[in-house]
Amino acid sequence: MASPCEVLMQIDDEHIAMQMLNIAVDEARRIEQKYSRFLQGNIVWQLNNAQGKAVKIDVETAQLLKFSQQCYQLSGGAFDISAGPLMNLWRFDGSHQVPKASAIKSALTLVDFSAIDFTDSKLTMPAAMSLDFGGIGKEYAVDSTAQQLSQRWPNISVMVNFGGDIACPILKEDGWQVGIENPQQLDNAAAQLTIRQGALATSGTTRRYFEVDSVRYGHIINPQTGYPVENAPLSVTVLGPNCITAGMLSTMAMLKGADSEAFLTAQNVDFKVFR
Amino acid sequence: MQLTPKHNIASALAMASCSLLSYQALAEDQAPVNDDWNVDAAIMYYGEQDRVQAVEAIGNVQKSFGESSLLDMKIVVDSLTGASASGAVAQSDSQTFTRPSGNGEYTVAVGETPLDDTFQDTRVQLSANWQEILNPDWTVNLGVYGSNEYDYLSLGLNAGIERSFNKNNTTLALSGAYTNDTVDPVGGRPIALSEMVFRGDYDGDDAYQAAFDATRLLGDDTKQTADMMVGVTQILNRNWLMQANYGFSSVSGYMTDPYKILSMVDGNGQSHGYRYENRPDSRTKHSVYILAKGALDEGVVDFSYRYNTDDWDIQAHTLETHYRYYFTPSLYGQLHLRYYQQQAAEFYQPFLRTDQVLPEYASADYRIGDMSAYTVGLKFGHRLSGGHELSYRIEYYQQNPENNGTEIPGQLNNHDLFPSVKAIVAQISYSF
Repeated sequence: MASPCEVLMQIDDEHIAMQMLNIAVDEARRIEQKYSRFLQGNIVWQLNNAQGKAVKIDVETAQLLKFSQQCYQLSGGAFDISAGPLMNLWRFDGSHQVPKASAIKSALTLVDFSAIDFTDSKLTMPAAMSLDFGGIGKEYAVDSTAQQLSQRWPNISVMVNFGGDIACPILKEDGWQVGIENPQQLDNAAAQLTIRQGALATSGTTRRYFEVDSVRYGHIINPQTGYPVENAPLSVTVLGPNCITAGMLSTMAMLKGADSEAFLTAQNVDFKVFR
Repeated sequence: MQLTPKHNIASALAMASCSLLSYQALAEDQAPVNDDWNVDAAIMYYGEQDRVQAVEAIGNVQKSFGESSLLDMKIVVDSLTGASASGAVAQSDSQTFTRPSGNGEYTVAVGETPLDDTFQDTRVQLSANWQEILNPDWTVNLGVYGSNEYDYLSLGLNAGIERSFNKNNTTLALSGAYTNDTVDPVGGRPIALSEMVFRGDYDGDDAYQAAFDATRLLGDDTKQTADMMVGVTQILNRNWLMQANYGFSSVSGYMTDPYKILSMVDGNGQSHGYRYENRPDSRTKHSVYILAKGALDEGVVDFSYRYNTDDWDIQAHTLETHYRYYFTPSLYGQLHLRYYQQQAAEFYQPFLRTDQVLPEYASADYRIGDMSAYTVGLKFGHRLSGGHELSYRIEYYQQNPENNGTEIPGQLNNHDLFPSVKAIVAQISYSF
């Protein structure tokens, strides 16, 4: 996941702590291996290289697709895991290249979640389309890990933190103190939150962006225009019942551009927006 | 872009995420548990072969107040019965002893180690400790202690302070305690090294009682103990930590065991009466303790060494290890090994000689004599649902008293003057 991961636990038994860490490492690795679009041979690679043929999928993948479909619908198409072709054009690897308008235009024709046909056991999508679970994979890994730990040790408070996406599945009376990174001054906390139970996720362009002709291009791409969202905040942090919900709300808020705060206020959730 | 009804998005996402995450969730109902309270209850049995038997009930309650305060309360009730070695030596004839109260006698058969079977007591012990984390670096605690049994009352206060350094990798601790004990033995305190009197040597009850009373002091007596300890705990790496402590203890007051006696033997080893023991009224102790504790892949192990020395000349070494192995995340087995070796107090003697001058201090209590002891124990712990834990412990303990170099005269060579004491400890504990 290319980000620092940590698990904090309120326990003095080192052996159990080691077991918890092992579970967390195994689960994070498993989900990365299975859903990273940068690895060959996994289910995402099979789907993206099926050339229009049906591919068998398992229950977990079907559930993730269903969830993605609901996110696509709830966001009115603004969140779309089939935006892979667009993502391939926008490189945030230091090349500082704004893609050609014609390339974006043709990529847009390959972005359409509604063209994907799937059931609980197989998926068919037009050739040249591709899927990217990057927008939910990390949050899903956090929740899945948190769930496993909390089921096995229902009385041990833990905080699962995979690169700033956080879940605290067990109530901790005095809460976990979490610092929110200051986008103007990375690695410094601009605000402190106390989480007793629940999750927190952050979307932002603070680490993945480039500037060309003093225009800042963030990595949140609007799959409907093909361009980075305009007037998007530097970062949006949302508190939610679980990490994947918080993550999706923060992503949707980013996609709302100038209306991020209004969107989140209407959702009646706790949030922090940096501009 | 137009989002569908705004207010529904957060809750719709939450619902959608639940079905995503629940596909792998096991339908497992967990009883709600209040994490503020932590209760441990245990029943322990301690039994020496043919000697002391004790049954002990232990209750411990911990209640946290927020993250920084912890109250710990403990009650222990134990009941002791059985016999303990009086200090007299075995003989080739049967021996008769006056009971500590002066009322009645008991007889010990030929060749047997004299045991005083009047031993019977119920003890109640209460303690409470308050711990307060002042800030990430400083922790303080304060405690009170009291225990009462028929002939003994002990009251104490203790306090400690801990300071963490180096991102909590190093902890320095300083603690102190003060205890005041009151001893009021059955039948009164014997006068130091006075002779045991026998009813049969007197014509009437009054004459006997007057002679018995002449060996006794009126009223109770006290003992004060001041303890101090400094310690350092250092985390070495993610798997190992070390701890080192130095302890100092100063005791003054009545330390004689009022129920222990010494046989007066002649050059043939024949016993000619018994005298009540006497111990000094001050004692200064030092101890050094080192512990290493480590987390292994499937378990936890620790090793420790303790050295004790005091101005009674008792020196002791203790080596101890525990190894805990997790068969599954909820079941562990633990092995406990302990070896103890002690050098006798300077006034320890297995008996007194009729042909020698009486010393100022003397005791034949094997517990302050030359001795080695070992413990082999097994414990199993089982974590139940809801965080409860059930554990079982069984230990075998053997003390092997040894001769401290005393020459053994005559018939005493026919008897085992330093018999081993073998004991079993069994305990069942439940935490919830």
